[in-house]
Amino acid sequence: MRCYVMWGLMLLALPAWADPAGDKAAVEKVLQCMRANVPPTLRIQEIELQATDRAGANRTMRGKLFAMRDKGLLRAMVHIAEPTDLAGAAYLVRETASDDHADEMYMFLPAMNRVRRITGASADGSFLGTDFSYNDVKQIENAFGDNDGKLEKPEQIEQHPVYVITFKPKADQSSRYSLLRAWVDQKTCVALKVDFFEGDVPRKELSAPVSAIQQSGNYWYLSQALMQDLKDHTSTRLKVVGVSSGTDLATRYFDPHSFYLGN
Amino acid sequence: MFSWIARLSRHPRLLLVLVFVLAAGAVALCVDPRTLKPRFHVDPSAEALLPAQNADRAVLAKVRQTFGEDDPVIVAVHFEPSVFTTENLEKIARLTQMLRQLPGVRGVFSLATAPNLMASGDDVSITSFTEQARTDPGQVAQFPEQLAANPLYRGTLVSPDGHSAAFALSFGDNDPAHYAAFKLSEKIRAAAAEVAPGCEVRITGTLPVRAATAAALSHTLAFTVPAVFALVALLLLVTYRSFRAMVAALLTVGLALTFTVATAVLLHIEFNLVTAIVPPLVITIGLSYTIHLLSAYFLSRQMIPLAGSQERAEWVMNRIVTGLSLSGATTVVGFLSLLLNPLPAIRSFALLASIGTAYVGLLTLVFMPPLLNALGSSREAPPIGERIFAAWGVRLANFDTRWRRQIIAIALVLIPVDLYFASHIRTGTEFIQSFGVNSPVRQDFEAINRTFNGANLVSIYVDTHVNDALTDPVQMRPLEQLEDWLHQQPEVGAVVSYIDHLKLLNKALNQNDPAYFAIPDSAAAVKQLLVFGGGDAIQHVVDPRFRSAVITVRINVDGSIAIGDFLKRLDEQLDALPPPLQAQATGTTVIATRAVAAIASGHLASIAIATVAIWALLSVMFTSMRAGLIATLPNIVPVSVYFGTLGLLHISLNPTTSLIACIVLGIAVNDTVHFLARFNADAREQGGEAGAIRSALSAVLRPITLATAALCLGFLVFTGSELRNQVQFGALAAWTLFCAWVADMTLTPALGSRLRIVTLWDMLRLDLGRSPQHTIPLLSGLSLRQARLFALMSRLEQVPSGVRIIQEGDLARDVFVVIDGTVEVVIDRNSERKVLSTLGRGAVMGEAGYFGQRRTASVDALSTVRLLRFDSQDLERLRVRYPSIAATIYRNLNRIQAERIARMTALVQ
Repeated sequence: MRCYVMWGLMLLALPAWADPAGDKAAVEKVLQCMRANVPPTLRIQEIELQATDRAGANRTMRGKLFAMRDKGLLRAMVHIAEPTDLAGAAYLVRETASDDHADEMYMFLPAMNRVRRITGASADGSFLGTDFSYNDVKQIENAFGDNDGKLEKPEQIEQHPVYVITFKPKADQSSRYSLLRAWVDQKTCVALKVDFFEGDVPRKELSAPVSAIQQSGNYWYLSQALMQDLKDHTSTRLKVVGVSSGTDLATRYFDPHSFYLGN
Repeated sequence: MFSWIARLSRHPRLLLVLVFVLAAGAVALCVDPRTLKPRFHVDPSAEALLPAQNADRAVLAKVRQTFGEDDPVIVAVHFEPSVFTTENLEKIARLTQMLRQLPGVRGVFSLATAPNLMASGDDVSITSFTEQARTDPGQVAQFPEQLAANPLYRGTLVSPDGHSAAFALSFGDNDPAHYAAFKLSEKIRAAAAEVAPGCEVRITGTLPVRAATAAALSHTLAFTVPAVFALVALLLLVTYRSFRAMVAALLTVGLALTFTVATAVLLHIEFNLVTAIVPPLVITIGLSYTIHLLSAYFLSRQMIPLAGSQERAEWVMNRIVTGLSLSGATTVVGFLSLLLNPLPAIRSFALLASIGTAYVGLLTLVFMPPLLNALGSSREAPPIGERIFAAWGVRLANFDTRWRRQIIAIALVLIPVDLYFASHIRTGTEFIQSFGVNSPVRQDFEAINRTFNGANLVSIYVDTHVNDALTDPVQMRPLEQLEDWLHQQPEVGAVVSYIDHLKLLNKALNQNDPAYFAIPDSAAAVKQLLVFGGGDAIQHVVDPRFRSAVITVRINVDGSIAIGDFLKRLDEQLDALPPPLQAQATGTTVIATRAVAAIASGHLASIAIATVAIWALLSVMFTSMRAGLIATLPNIVPVSVYFGTLGLLHISLNPTTSLIACIVLGIAVNDTVHFLARFNADAREQGGEAGAIRSALSAVLRPITLATAALCLGFLVFTGSELRNQVQFGALAAWTLFCAWVADMTLTPALGSRLRIVTLWDMLRLDLGRSPQHTIPLLSGLSLRQARLFALMSRLEQVPSGVRIIQEGDLARDVFVVIDGTVEVVIDRNSERKVLSTLGRGAVMGEAGYFGQRRTASVDALSTVRLLRFDSQDLERLRVRYPSIAATIYRNLNRIQAERIARMTALVQ
């Protein structure tokens, strides 16, 4: 009941930048390119999370995701459709207008048949037992909003030129990670790979094949990605189908009183 | 083998060079020449004692794979006036943050990270205690009550008295070497001292205990090895008064040790609680061997003072080869019997100790004599205490002979009495109490165990093999009952399972209504709560498919016996769970407890095998099962005394004490062998047992006593270890060896006083010429072995040319057989010497005397003659021990006598 990772996951479909000159202006230009990939609204008809535990066993969850920016504040809702015993459960995350942009989280469980507002959830916690956590995505979001990123020597992924950019989370972000390194496709400004470092060692790795880059309207996104916990040896594969962006979304999806009714 | 050794001894320089080259290779194996770091490893974990394929280990591995590591490091910090002040809670938050930054720490569970579920209307707050204290200090007063009501945190995050806060540090890498290398205990204390100066800090958990065990093992090795060496040096210097002899002995033992450690590296044998005993053991055994060799070496100075180096070396080798080979063989047999033990650590010990013994035996035999020659060791002064020991040997022999029956009776009574006490022995070991009372690791463990009512963790792994089975309330009820049962057990301080998480979530999401502190009625509700509310914590108690779970039990007892008793009751409960629930207790503590329990299963068999094997070996060596038994019996007595001591002093059988019986059995028999070998030689030489006991005891008392003293001192060095198991091992091994010495100095002579024994070596060395059974009529019909046995039961004598062997007219009952050489039978008549015949190989002489007649002629040696001489006593002894050989000899003797009478009759006619 803690994370609203999906919106953040879609932020991974963010773009990269144009001129890897290495100076701040160039970095900012690249970051702007990435931010330009963030749609004002987002609807994913089907989102699939397939978590593989340490023993190699798989567990799959499917649902829908709706997200939007409302006066610059994030709204995201996930509605679970499968497995059947979890069907109907829903999460709503709302960024507040407070100074620290604190998050509000609402949860609806069919078995409880009530909406509960959750406060104080740990951002490092896993989302529904997967390898994604809100903070992982939040770190990327923070990073891409950070003008202090450093460009490194460009590389290639699957023969596609990518920018390599590193970010150090700021102290006030209370991140568990010491460093993030992202490999961003130069053409689409989509991050194809992100390493999350704990100390000097990568703890998690998010990766996607080049073929997973898809376009919806003017926006590029990843249709699938794999998050691996390199220490726990678990992984979660994310797949999204039916992405539409920039369309109007009903406000009820993001209303704490009615979000769970959405489908 | 002996010819091979003899050949080697003919090339002393080559031999020395070869050994030193091999030693250089062994050193390179032991220590990486580039980094100068040792290549051998110290493994303090209890899992190291168990087989790799062990089912318990497999379960533990599965639990760790599914739920992550199970052994956090527990840090307890004492706060005054109580944990529940905003200032102290802030300190806890700061300390948590600092602990998170320590190398290798993956997470810290404390009041600063544990969510405190607070429900108010439709709002659920899951902030931590410290956050709540920061935002609303007024809530702090409610924390004690909230913690007491929370099954996850009750008595876990804060001690029941409210003065100590706990921090559970999880490490991604549970390697005690890393923990020690990063000095994490020191860093934890430093962090606590920075945040809360002056506060008492306690640290425990598998990692710090293992790190301390590894350090203690390393210290033990670092202490015992030089200490035993120092004792060796001192003892040798005092007793032999030769610096060079001491150097030679130390070098020999040191090389054997190097080869042993190199072998451990090659065989990938790690030094754990059991195998760490091998290095000092090899030194100690080596010491006893070198003492025997030095005794022989310095004896050679007296016996063959003018001999050259080569001759001296061969003389020394010949002198000790029998005893040393037999000693080595029996010691190795004692060790190898431990191969039956199911614990791989004990099997590794058996293998390594056997190899080490072989190395030290071989080097003592082939390397040390030429080394002594090369070093030019000499000592003209008589050995210290030689006369005193000789005098005491005679007194002891007289005592043994006089009180023979009583000594044997006491020994026979001791065995059942000791077995009675031995029946009270329990198999088990102390874990934390293996450290000394003042050891910080023990004090910390005991303080946390006392403060938090438990510091040892037991995990119960529950598996259903059915997806989502553990979300079914029907399946959950028996687990809930199991938890209730666990709470009632006096050993249990805390129990946590996913059911506790579930109940808390259910209550919090139902407006904190206590009625909802229960398992929901539907599986869907259970699953929704766990999936959506469980967060990270739930992943450590139930698997994502809800088919397996782990229940964590904190227990307040330590030591395998107390834990074993609890596990026995727990296993009964687990076995009673209805299908599909299948549960097993696991965890480091459980593994260690079961590893210790496994000792008993192979222990008695090992001792039995060792005893039988040593008896068989001695029987072969002495070519008599009875002699083998007599040599074995004095060593059964100290072993039974050892077990009696364990029972009487309530000392449990643990991985180290279980080794003692087989080790002592293998070592102590050496003294018996040395005595009996000498007794045998003296009895032959003197033609009687009574005098032989005196001479043998006076001859062997000194080297045997010195060797025993050296062994006892070597084992007593272990009492300087920080680990109680090692201390017990050292003290008990020394005590048992002392008992073995007493038995060998009393019971062995008492038993052997009526025994004349023949060793296999005697037989092998005995030269009766070609096919004696075919070329010597008296031996006709015997096998070569039987012929040699008869010869050894008799006396083999060498007579120089010209010496008279039989004097006509004498009354004597000896019979002679010519082995080789020529004799002349003569009679003196009227001062005239008349030659009757000239006899050679196979001729029998003096048989008339055997039948009570005076000698009818004289016999003179025409050349150097080797004769076999026996009398009626010898034949009687032969009849008792080897009746079939005696029957053949009697038949042949009668045939020879009959033929002679027939010839004489023909001459008369």
